Amino acid sequence: MAYDFDLMRKISGKVAVVGVGETDYGADYRQSSGATRRRGTAGELDGYGLAAVAFSRALKDSGLKKSDIDGVVVSGPIASEPTCEYLGLTPNWGSTFNGLSDAIIPMAVMAIMSGHCTTVAVIKGDDQRSANTQFGGPASRITRLGEQMYHPWGFSSPGAQHALMWQHYMDVYGRREEELFVVPNNARKWAQMNPNAVMYGRPMDFDSWWNSAYIAKPMRLFDYCIINDGGTCLILRRADLCQDLPNKDVVVSGFSWETVTHSSQLKDRVDDNYYAKTKAAADAAYAMAGIGPKDISHFQVYDAFSDILIWAMEAFGFCERGEALDFIGKNGENIFKGGKLPAMTSGGHQSDCYLQGWAQQAEAVRQMRHSAGDRQVEGAKYSMYTHPGGEGPHTVLYSRV
Amino acid sequence: MAEKRPNRVLGPNHDTFWEFCTQADFRLQKCDQCGSVQFPPSPACPECLSLEMTWTPMSGKGTILSHTTFIRQYYPECPPPWHCILVQIDEGPSFVMNPLRQGADIDEAELKAGTRVKVAFIDAEDKAGEFKMPVWDTLKE
Repeated sequence: MAYDFDLMRKISGKVAVVGVGETDYGADYRQSSGATRRRGTAGELDGYGLAAVAFSRALKDSGLKKSDIDGVVVSGPIASEPTCEYLGLTPNWGSTFNGLSDAIIPMAVMAIMSGHCTTVAVIKGDDQRSANTQFGGPASRITRLGEQMYHPWGFSSPGAQHALMWQHYMDVYGRREEELFVVPNNARKWAQMNPNAVMYGRPMDFDSWWNSAYIAKPMRLFDYCIINDGGTCLILRRADLCQDLPNKDVVVSGFSWETVTHSSQLKDRVDDNYYAKTKAAADAAYAMAGIGPKDISHFQVYDAFSDILIWAMEAFGFCERGEALDFIGKNGENIFKGGKLPAMTSGGHQSDCYLQGWAQQAEAVRQMRHSAGDRQVEGAKYSMYTHPGGEGPHTVLYSRV
Repeated sequence: MAEKRPNRVLGPNHDTFWEFCTQADFRLQKCDQCGSVQFPPSPACPECLSLEMTWTPMSGKGTILSHTTFIRQYYPECPPPWHCILVQIDEGPSFVMNPLRQGADIDEAELKAGTRVKVAFIDAEDKAGEFKMPVWDTLKE
């Protein structure tokens, strides 16, 4: 087991993110929940329709022609072949992959840098809210053995795994349940500056979090991500081909792709909070870009549950193990605007949009473009995205040229 | 009377696990070649990849690593508050199962990390029929 950092450094910064397109997450959410359905929004559109909106916006943003797209990766539950047919794409490289944005962007970079294509559209569309998708119980969308095998004992859902993890962390590090509030509250505060966020206009206080129903104790409803419909598309292109494009200043300078496999035994999850593997992923991404934790200006995490940001901050070397909540600060000041490490600046999975990390990738790119408006992290140079979880940990490190 | 439970995963290896459980015998696969003990029921030894493993009686003793209580109901057969514990058995493997008792009046000690537990079997029933399933009772050593 060994990374070849010399080889990895050769492709660092060689692929740019030239296009970003997103659906109207907040509006989509309200459409899918309500009775009025407007043409071209969630409720009326399925995953393919949402993907079409996102792709069309990303293409426009990029300044490219549709015929420039020679690679496509489609993020499940929608599939590549129908997506390409609906959108009139004829790539020479591509596939359907699972929902995770964090694995697909590295795949796209690898395809481009191995000469299989020059310009990859990575496309996500998901009508999981309208379709009443379940992430626990007998009809759970999650098919791995660790989810299916425990049905007779009534154990189900990723949230319940995180309940085991957070309970264990509290026991080991002497933390208290109420201390977790700073994490979902940070996401909610950022979302108040993001008109496209699902939770825009809906601030949260301690009592409303504390009194939100337990789902799997000690995790509450407001420790869980939103389930919403939406689509996101990023267009990546070999950086030396981008001179004439309007958005060419953001590149992928690092990535890594570790794996956690014990979905049944759960020991590396609960005992270790994915620490060993997440640290390995972090170190690899840092080494690929030739930087370290102090260089990161903006941090994005697959925050499907409140505890995940904590594990990620520790494994990425921003603080010691057991100390992330101290780093974050009593009022969350160090991960909010003006703090040491602004994190989840669009509102993350809990308050912006849950599309298996895709919206967080879009926000990372916006921050690196310096186009995030009120949320902009001043002088931001490196944005680290990570998914320290199931089938991960993956990282994508964006930087501004 | 047998408790109704959500359906088991059945099939190769899983069937054997449940057949022993139904005889109130808690066995896991132990590799004939390297001696490692497997969970989940597996087609090959993850240490040495040998296909030769023997279903071997376990001590039936373990330690709770963590716990959660479902307040949201995911299964009609499992009414909240529904308790689950992550147990590591003395032979090494860990898994999520239930404490022997359910309900609101359970003692904290029956769930807490570090509590020593021993296997017990309860009568259960799913779509495939009646069976016994392992749960974990507190152990006084």
